[in-house]
Amino acid sequence: MDHFGKTLTFISLAVFLLLISAGSASGKTLFNDTIEEGDGYQINNYVIEVAEVVYEHEVATIHVYEDESKTPKYDKFLSLGDSFTFTIEGEDVEVTLISVYSGISNRAKLSITITDASIINSKTLGEVDGGHTAAVFPKTPILEIIKTVEPDGIGTGDVVTVKVSVTNTGDGDAEKVIFSDSSPAKFVLQETLIAPTGQTTIKKGEMRLIYVYTLRSTESGTFVFDPSTAVYSNSIGDDFPQASSNAPVIEVEDSSKKANLDVVLVLDKYTVDRRDDLEGTIRMKNTGASSASAVTVNLLVPTGLEYSGGDPGIEIISGVPTVYMESFGVQQEKEISFRLKAIDEGTYTLSTQSSYLFSDGINPNAQSASSTSVTNAIYVKKGKYDYLLEQPIYVYIVPLLVIGIIAGLLYYRHRQYKF
Amino acid sequence: MLNILIIGNGQCGNRILDAINRDAFGTKGRFAKYLSHQKYKSNVQTIAINTAVNDLKEMKFTKAKDRIHTPHLHGVGANRNVGKHVFEDNKTLIMKNIHDRGDFDVAFVITSASGGTGSSFTPMLIRELKEKCKFPIYAMVILPFREEGTLYLQNAAFCLKDLRESGADGIILADNQFLKQMGGNVESAYNGINDMIARRLLFLLDALDSEMMMVTDLGDFKTVMNGGAGLATIGFYEADSEMPIKSVIKKALSPEGLLFSTDAYQEASRSMIIIRGDRKYMSIDEVSSEVEQLSSCVGQVFKGIIIRNDELPQVLTVLTLESAVELENLYAIAVEAINYERLKKERVDSNKEVDRAFSQINGMDPSY
Repeated sequence: MDHFGKTLTFISLAVFLLLISAGSASGKTLFNDTIEEGDGYQINNYVIEVAEVVYEHEVATIHVYEDESKTPKYDKFLSLGDSFTFTIEGEDVEVTLISVYSGISNRAKLSITITDASIINSKTLGEVDGGHTAAVFPKTPILEIIKTVEPDGIGTGDVVTVKVSVTNTGDGDAEKVIFSDSSPAKFVLQETLIAPTGQTTIKKGEMRLIYVYTLRSTESGTFVFDPSTAVYSNSIGDDFPQASSNAPVIEVEDSSKKANLDVVLVLDKYTVDRRDDLEGTIRMKNTGASSASAVTVNLLVPTGLEYSGGDPGIEIISGVPTVYMESFGVQQEKEISFRLKAIDEGTYTLSTQSSYLFSDGINPNAQSASSTSVTNAIYVKKGKYDYLLEQPIYVYIVPLLVIGIIAGLLYYRHRQYKF
Repeated sequence: MLNILIIGNGQCGNRILDAINRDAFGTKGRFAKYLSHQKYKSNVQTIAINTAVNDLKEMKFTKAKDRIHTPHLHGVGANRNVGKHVFEDNKTLIMKNIHDRGDFDVAFVITSASGGTGSSFTPMLIRELKEKCKFPIYAMVILPFREEGTLYLQNAAFCLKDLRESGADGIILADNQFLKQMGGNVESAYNGINDMIARRLLFLLDALDSEMMMVTDLGDFKTVMNGGAGLATIGFYEADSEMPIKSVIKKALSPEGLLFSTDAYQEASRSMIIIRGDRKYMSIDEVSSEVEQLSSCVGQVFKGIIIRNDELPQVLTVLTLESAVELENLYAIAVEAINYERLKKERVDSNKEVDRAFSQINGMDPSY
């Protein structure tokens, strides 16, 4: 009975120990092998180094280093079967001394487990000959890119200088760095002073000017420069998210010289009887700051009105009354008169279509511009004698017959007396 | 209704004929021929004859079919001998034109005595007509200004003589020299004379075919024209305001109203007086008084009265002349002109000095 009791007690203790061991070191076994004295096992930026193995006492001293610190973060003295646990990025890592061996270099057999292996960087996992001093630790370079455009307020045609600089504020070098940059539309590249030539490395803490170039504005407006970007990796080849610069904004004011041709159509009256005449005037003035050339003003006469003449400056080109002038100076004014005849009843508008060229002092080529102008509605009423045309046919026949007879008689008389 | 033929020969005859045709429309507007018709009471046929086509073209109121052109350059140049030849050449054409118009009761041939075509054509035409027709033919002859030239005076003298011998039933004289008292420029004077003659003839034609209170007809006119020496003239006056009829008659018989210078009371042989106007002016006492005064001097006076309401009094007188002092004066001047022309021609014929001057270089050529 006592034997049964001891046995039961032993079994219960074993189960208890098993449960305890299971509760403290549950997870994936990363390592279960021997490590020579002075070597280590690296998990991310931690190195579990077998500092000393004392075979005779079946103990071993285990140091855990973090990063390149020369002082171990943990210094554990383990006997066979002892374990200790520490945390890497929130996950528990348990190290158990399984056994020790003697030799040229003593060795310790360790079991290393981790609760969640997904945090492990595979490139930094495994045995490290030489231990902590020989381990390679992953670094995190951080590239901060600053893009400036100076000056931030210019006029059209002015030149701005764009500078892009980068600073590595991380704890490691940025390698295989590739920069990219783009210029906004409506700007023309003038000169590139500095530009990257390909992949490069930005050392930890280094600040470098990456781009320096000048641009010339061509249009007015508010322009946002796209950010400059960089893709890079660290020394072990980890790719990092793309770094982006700020997006500078500049205002470009319109400082170009333009010709501005104001064309106004004026009529002497806007209500007219059919068959009556209208007198019109085309008033032109260049209110811009540049002379206009090749000025063409087409007078678009609607059906129902008929162009019946005008000043000598108006030519009929392809059936369209057209004013053409080789040049039209700044603030120059001109008035051109024309006549229209109202043909059909109705409501019409008269319009002009103008086009001209000018030099804005910015672009080497002449700029073209066009405009239109429209009169108020013109009402063509029934003519004074239009009612005559609305009568039944017999109303015309009788007078026509009478006129014909009279004309015949007059001609007959004329012939009688013509010698 | 009478059938009357009026022929205008030469430029003067054409123009007077055109004036008659114009006045026959009743208005003087240039468009009258288009808008109206001629108001002849009788059947009046008019014919214009000329050698100068331009004179015919100038006529505005005579129908083209009534204009006969007898081509000879542009006129006969006041040469009656040439004119006579042209007439002979075109006689058939002219006579056929007249014959085609039928028979007539009376004919008047109007001409200038001094020109070329009219003065030469008219006597020959009347002779031809008298040989072929039975109706009386009267010549209305316009005498020239005395200062117009010797050829015109010579033509007038021979024309009148030829007319007397042509068989014309009477020669009614109108004298430019006498009528120039009207004054004005040359054109207006000629036009005025033409208008005067045209108006008198129209009045006469109207009277011969009108219903009258007191009748004078074609027979009376023939009787009047048969009297005297075959010469006659016409007087006319139209009151421009209300005036006694006797005053109007006196003015029609005075130089103011006559076409030829004559003393009606001394030189007239027979007379016709035609009075027209509103009834209120027709005082029988005044008319009788004036007619008696004239008849006491000339013998027979035919009188006719035409009543036209609201018309002022107008009087036409036809006087045949026993003698004409003025005509004798004309012939005296004409004789001088004929002699002058003859002597000049003789001088030119006998004067060979110019020929002798030219004969000095006969057979010679110029050397250069």
